[in-house]
Amino acid sequence: MEDTQAVAALVERCLGGDAAAWEEIVRLYHRRIYNVSYRFAGTAEDAEDLTQEVFIKMYRTLKSYDVSKGALVTWVTTVARNLLVDNFRRRKHDRMTDSLESAPAGHQDALTLGEQLPDLGPSPDAGVHTQQTQRAVHQALQKLSPELREAVILRDLQELEYREIAQVLRVPEGTVKSRINRGRAELARHLSRTYRQVS
Amino acid sequence: MYGEHPGGMDCTQFEALLSEALDGALSQPLLAGFRAHAAACADCGPLLAGAQAGMSWLKSLAEVEPPRNLVLNILIATSGAGAAASLRQASPTSSWRDRLRQWTRPLAPAFSAVLQPRFALSLGMAFFSITVLLNAAGLHLSSLRAADLRPSAIQENLTRAYNETTARALKYYENIRLVYEIESRVREFRNATREEDQQEQRKKELEKPRDRKYRDDNTSGNPDRKQDRYSRQNEPVVLAGTWLDDSVYTIPEGRAA
Ligand SMILES: [Zn+2]
Repeated sequence: MEDTQAVAALVERCLGGDAAAWEEIVRLYHRRIYNVSYRFAGTAEDAEDLTQEVFIKMYRTLKSYDVSKGALVTWVTTVARNLLVDNFRRRKHDRMTDSLESAPAGHQDALTLGEQLPDLGPSPDAGVHTQQTQRAVHQALQKLSPELREAVILRDLQELEYREIAQVLRVPEGTVKSRINRGRAELARHLSRTYRQVS
Repeated sequence: MYGEHPGGMDCTQFEALLSEALDGALSQPLLAGFRAHAAACADCGPLLAGAQAGMSWLKSLAEVEPPRNLVLNILIATSGAGAAASLRQASPTSSWRDRLRQWTRPLAPAFSAVLQPRFALSLGMAFFSITVLLNAAGLHLSSLRAADLRPSAIQENLTRAYNETTARALKYYENIRLVYEIESRVREFRNATREEDQQEQRKKELEKPRDRKYRDDNTSGNPDRKQDRYSRQNEPVVLAGTWLDDSVYTIPEGRAA
């Protein structure tokens, strides 16, 4: 998908201090990183913070990117994924140590802050007609464990190859496929529950 | 069910083929066996149905639109030697939020708003912050165009003004960072006003060809200031909104007077 030579040249220029090249990299990937962050973290606010954090990390570590080891998009996604998981763990730890915020027993594991608070702002999802469905799917996604969530985001939303996902998550391809299967099935289970309650 | 092999495969083999089956990547004989297993197995049938439904739910999710200022904010957060140097100096364990908090701590409240994590600056806010800063540095907006807007000059002025008030509290890199912020706002503002100027200039040349001689004779390097101001009096008054508000309020000429 990615023009390896063009990307290598872009990275080269960037490392040489070319600000325009860095801007091009930001423009190329900000949408993807923002979407991954939004679907993983759950709220637009967190997604924005995390996207910035990802690019700051990239900016500092671009030197370590090795063209021969894979596409820049895989590298960028890996940086993003690691930060998202770090952030998730930090938040989970914060939640566990915060006595004021005791979630109801049994399903606090994958709950995000955004889920516990009523979302008053407009959802960034496009299309008025499908907005409710979009929201339901997005919320069901937040109920998956981070392992399953990241797997289905990378496959079904970002459309990465299994091989690339395995590289990002540092697990064998078989594990990737198994997580995708389980993630999809669990998501469907959550949604069927939601829709059974509604109807 | 694990003892039997409906469709010529066990449940583990079935699950290994599941994602590829949903991708439509299975060959015909494998697909036939896969279907036969799903139809006969009490575990794998529902798994297939669930995975298929989940996949189509996920594929129905639309891409979300990033905030309008995201690229700009990323560039502000990552550009400039100061930002890079400060990031390198910051301890690797401290989070981005913590580092930001450190930057903003010694700053006056007005600047704290400018340097919040998401740098949510509207043009209105940018305009306001420039005005405040330039006023603080002894410059007034009416003379902004006449002022030397070369980045080096701005940097010099602002660094000096800034140093006078906060020199002891701030480290060098924080200074550079603020200056960079202001520089980029001024650049935006200057681009906006340059376009406006060019349009006005064109309009005036079309409307008043007899004024040309006067203008050509004016060698002060500072032409048309009076006319420029005069023409501005005929425009509606525009006020920048609040810090957190994107809106710019336009007051009709009658009420402003
Ligand atoms: Zn089976």
